[in-house]
Amino acid sequence: MLKDRIDLLKKQLFENKREISLERALLYTESYKQTEGEPVIIRRAKATANILDKVAISIREGELIAGNRTIKPRSGIISPEMDPYWILKELDTIHARPQDPFYISEEDKKIYREELYPYWAGRSLKDSINGKLRDEIKEAISLNIFKLNQTDKGQGHIIMDLSSALNNGLGYVVERVKRLSKSHPENDFYRAALIVLEASQRHILRYAKLAEQYAAREENETRRSELLEIARISSKVSREKPDSFHEACQLFWYLNVIAQYESNASSISTGRFDQFMYSFYKKDIEKGVPLEYIKEVLECLWIKMNDVVLIRSEESARYFAGFPTGYTVALGGLTPSGRSAVNELSYLCLETYQDVLLPQPNLAVRLNEFIERPFLNKTVETIRFGTGIPQIFNDEVIVPGFLNRGVSLEDARDYAIVGCVELSIPGKTYGLHDIALFNLLKVMELTLKEFKYSRDVTYEKIITRIKEKIDHYVSLMAEGSNIVDIGHRDYAPIPFLSCFVDDCLSKGMDVTSGGAKYNFSGVQGIGIANLSDSLYALKKIVFEEKRISFEELINALDSNFEGEEYEKLRIRLINKYDKYGNDNDEVDDIGSDILRHYNLQVEKYTNPRGGIFTPGSYTVSAHVPLGAAVGATPDGRKAREQLADGGLSPMVGRDRLGPTAVLKSVSKLDNYLTSNGSLLNVKFSPKTLEGQEGINKMANYLLAFMKLKIQHIQFNVISADTLRDAMLHPENYKGLVVRVAGYSAFFIELSREIQKDIIARTEHCL
Amino acid sequence: MKALIFNIQRYCIHDGEGIRTVVFFKGCPLHCPWCSNPESQSYKPEKVRVNSRCIHCSFCSMDPDECPSGAIEIFGKYYTIEDIIKEVMKDSIFYNTSGGGVTLSGGEVLSQAPFAAELLRELKRLGIDTAIETSGQGSTEGLKAMAENLDTILFDLKIMDADRAAAVLGADVRLIESNLRMLVESGKHVIPRIPLIPGYNMDEENLKAIARLVKELGLKEIHLLPFHQYGKGKYEFLNRKYQLKDVKPPSEGEVERVRNLMEGYGFKAVVGGL
Repeated sequence: MLKDRIDLLKKQLFENKREISLERALLYTESYKQTEGEPVIIRRAKATANILDKVAISIREGELIAGNRTIKPRSGIISPEMDPYWILKELDTIHARPQDPFYISEEDKKIYREELYPYWAGRSLKDSINGKLRDEIKEAISLNIFKLNQTDKGQGHIIMDLSSALNNGLGYVVERVKRLSKSHPENDFYRAALIVLEASQRHILRYAKLAEQYAAREENETRRSELLEIARISSKVSREKPDSFHEACQLFWYLNVIAQYESNASSISTGRFDQFMYSFYKKDIEKGVPLEYIKEVLECLWIKMNDVVLIRSEESARYFAGFPTGYTVALGGLTPSGRSAVNELSYLCLETYQDVLLPQPNLAVRLNEFIERPFLNKTVETIRFGTGIPQIFNDEVIVPGFLNRGVSLEDARDYAIVGCVELSIPGKTYGLHDIALFNLLKVMELTLKEFKYSRDVTYEKIITRIKEKIDHYVSLMAEGSNIVDIGHRDYAPIPFLSCFVDDCLSKGMDVTSGGAKYNFSGVQGIGIANLSDSLYALKKIVFEEKRISFEELINALDSNFEGEEYEKLRIRLINKYDKYGNDNDEVDDIGSDILRHYNLQVEKYTNPRGGIFTPGSYTVSAHVPLGAAVGATPDGRKAREQLADGGLSPMVGRDRLGPTAVLKSVSKLDNYLTSNGSLLNVKFSPKTLEGQEGINKMANYLLAFMKLKIQHIQFNVISADTLRDAMLHPENYKGLVVRVAGYSAFFIELSREIQKDIIARTEHCL
Repeated sequence: MKALIFNIQRYCIHDGEGIRTVVFFKGCPLHCPWCSNPESQSYKPEKVRVNSRCIHCSFCSMDPDECPSGAIEIFGKYYTIEDIIKEVMKDSIFYNTSGGGVTLSGGEVLSQAPFAAELLRELKRLGIDTAIETSGQGSTEGLKAMAENLDTILFDLKIMDADRAAAVLGADVRLIESNLRMLVESGKHVIPRIPLIPGYNMDEENLKAIARLVKELGLKEIHLLPFHQYGKGKYEFLNRKYQLKDVKPPSEGEVERVRNLMEGYGFKAVVGGL
C-alpha cells in the first residue's frame, strides 16, 4: 500500500517534461498594473494575494499532502519583475540548453514578448541594481573576480520559524498582525503582512473546497476518505493550530508553497524538522496512531519537496546545476541545553528517506560528541545508498563559530542548514547566505601577471600583493552585495515570510529592511586548493630550486603550456610538488594563510541591515564556470579547466594519500571563521563500505572528522562504471541521484560537463 | 639506526583492527613466486621506471630528480625511528576513534628486527595499537624483542612440506614453526593467515597440515587471503619474470571449500583478513 503510493507519486514527478509556467508572472503583473502609486510592499502583498486567490490548483492522484506550486510537477516559474532580460534573451534556446532545459510553448513566448517583457523592462530589480553598480565593480565582475548572486530572482536562503508557526497556527499569526496593524496604522509592513496572510488562509481553503469536490466524484471509497481528510485538515489549519502529525505536515507544506509564490526563490529551507515536528509525532504515537501511517505521510512530504524546481538563467544554471531547491533538513544536533537532540523522529527521517532516495529533502545530520552510536551508524547506512544524502555537519566547530559572530549560546546550538551548506539560525536570520562568490585563484592569476617583468620579484612580495588585491576586491564585492541587498529591500520585500522570522513582527519591519534578529551577508572564498598548489609549486621551482625563472614560468602559463618543453614543465608541476590534500604542512599553510586573510577581511564589512559580512567556502557547481575564467596556473592546471570542487576539497586526482590525509589538510584551515558554511567532498568506493564492518569504519572516520573541527563533509559512493553507463543509457537511470555540491541531483539531468566532473571525482578512489 | 622502508600507507582498513597505517619494510629472505610486492624483496634501494607514468621524453637521463612525471623512481628510502613516528602519528586521531593503529609489514619486517623492536617500543610508549605481518622466517630473538610491544601478530602459513617450502619459497619450515610456537606460548594474540594460491598450496594435504598445527596451538581464528593479480604490473617495471602471470584468482567455490575445511576444525575462518 505504502510502496504503491510512493511509486505512483514518484512516477508522477517525471511524467511530463519540465515546462515554464507563466501563470504566476501574469497574475503578479495583472495586480501590479492595478496598484501603481502604492508603496512597494503593499503592491508586492497584493500581487502575491492575487496569485494565491487565482492560481490554478490541483490535488494529484494518491497525494496525502496537498499543495502544488504548479499544476504540472517540476515546472519553472519565471519572475520578470526581478529580471525580464535573461528570459527574453533565452526564450528560444531554453528548451535546448545543456543544463536544466525547460520547454516553453510558442504561444507563451508570444505572451512573454508582448505582455510581460514590455511591462517589466526598465522597472525590475535588475535595472535598479545595474543602475547603482559603479564601473569598477562591473569590471571586477566581468573579469570574474567575483560574482553577485540574487540579482535576477527573489531572495531565499531563509528558514522560517516553523516551531511557533506550527504550535500557534495561522489564525494566531493573523490575529497578532491585525492587532499590530491596528495599533500602528502607519506601518506598511503590518498592512502588507495582513493582506498576504489573509490571502494565505483563503488559498488553503481553496484546497479544502477542491478536495471536497474531488471526493464527491471519487468512486474509490478509500481515496474518497483520503480526500475528505485533506479537506478537513486544510480547513482546520487555515485557522487553527494543527494537532496531529499529518495536520502539522500539511500546514508546513502550505506555508512553503505560499512562501515560494511570494518570492520564487532558491532555498526556503526546512530547518530542524525532527525537532519542531517531534511533539506532533509523539502525541500521535501516544494516541496509538499507526507508525505506518506516519511514515506514509512523511514519505509523501519528502516527494513533494522534489516538485518545486527553480528556473535559472543559462549562466546561473551552470553555477547551480541540477536544481538545488534547498529543502535542507538538519537532523540531530543539540538541545537548547547542549545535550544530544536525536529522537525517534530523527531515525524515522533517515528510514523514510531510504524508501524515497530523491534529491530532496537534502538531509543533513549534525554530528557532535554526544551523538548516539546507533544514530551515527544509521546515518552511514543511509550514505551508503549513494545519493550523497545525508551530508554531515559538525557542531563542535560550528557552534563556537557562531558564538564568535555574537550569536547567543542557545541560538548557536539551534543552527540549521540553509540552501546547500550555509549555516543559519532558523527563524531568526536573514543571512543573504549566497550573495556572492569570490574567485581567489583569479586574484592570484592577476597578481602573477603583474609581476611578469618585475626584476625583484620574490615569493613574499607575491603573497603580500595577493593579499592587497584581496582587500581591494573584497571591498568592491561588499559594496556590490550591499547594492543587491538594497535592491531586494526596495523592490522585493517578502512580508509573508517575514511574519515567520524573529523579530520582524515586533520591529514592524520586513526581513529585507533588517527585521530579522541576525543579519549577515555571506560571501564565499573559492579556489583555495588550486591556490595552495600553485603557490607551493611556484615557490619551489622558481625561488628555491631555481629551475626556471619567474618570467619563464609566466610565459609557460601564458602559452597554456603549449609545446613539448612546457608540457614537460606542466607534468613536473603536477607530479613533483606536493599538493593540498596530502597533509603536508608547507603546502596546506599557504591556503590556510590566504583563506584566513580573506575571512578576516570579509568580517570588516557591514550591510545596510546592521549586520556583518561572513565568509564561507563552497562552490556549488561554480568550480566549473569559475575555472573557465582562469588561465593556466602553476599547479599544472590548464587554462579554463575546472577548479577543485566543493570549496575545501583538494583538486581532483591530486590527493594521493587517501581520505585521512585529506581531512588533515582541511583541518589546517581556520574552520571556525567560515561561519557562512564550507563544503568538503570525499569519495569512497562502494567496496570500502561493505558490511557492518564498513559501516563502523566510516562512522569512526566521521568521529575523527568531528574531532578535527571541520564543518562539513559529504560523500559520493557510486562507482564510476555505474555513472559512465548512466551517461550512455540515461533511460535506465531516471532515478539515479548523485551528490553535486552540498546538494544532490538527478545524474541524467546534469550537463555532460558536470557529469564528467562527477565521474572524475568518483574514479579517484583509494 | 635506520631502516629501509618502501612505503608508508595511510588509511588501510583491511589490515587489522580499525583505520591503520602500514609501514612496509624492504627486503625479504623468501622469494614466493606469487609475491604481490616484488619491489619489497631486495634489501637495497632499487631504481625503476614506472611505465604507466612515463611521458616518453626525447631524452631520458634515468635521473629521478630530472624525471618530470615521477616515472623514474627509487624504491626504498632509509628512515630513522623519528621519521617514521612523525609520519604515522599524522593519523593518530583516526586510530583513536577507530581502534586502529600501526602495522609493520614488508618485505619481511623480521629481517630488520632490532629497528622494528625499537619502533614498536616507541609506538607503545605513545599508546598506539601495534601489529605486524610476518612470514616467521627470521631470528627468534628478534621476534621475541618485537613481540614485547605487539598487540597482534598476523602470521603467514604458506607451505608446510619442508622440502617444497625450501624449494619454492626458500623457507625453513622448522624455524617458522618454532617461532610461531614461541609467540603463542608467550601468550601473544596471533592470527595465522593462509594465502590461497592455486597450484601451490591449496591442496588438501597442505591445508590439513596447517589446520592441525593451528589446532594443536589452540588458536581460534584463521584468515584466508585469496590470490590476486594486483602485483602483475610491478613485475613489468621491475623487468622481472612473473611465473604466475596467467594464474587466475581462486573461484568463490574454491575459497568456500577451504573455509569449510577450516571451520570443520572449529576455527573462525575470515576471508580477506580483518
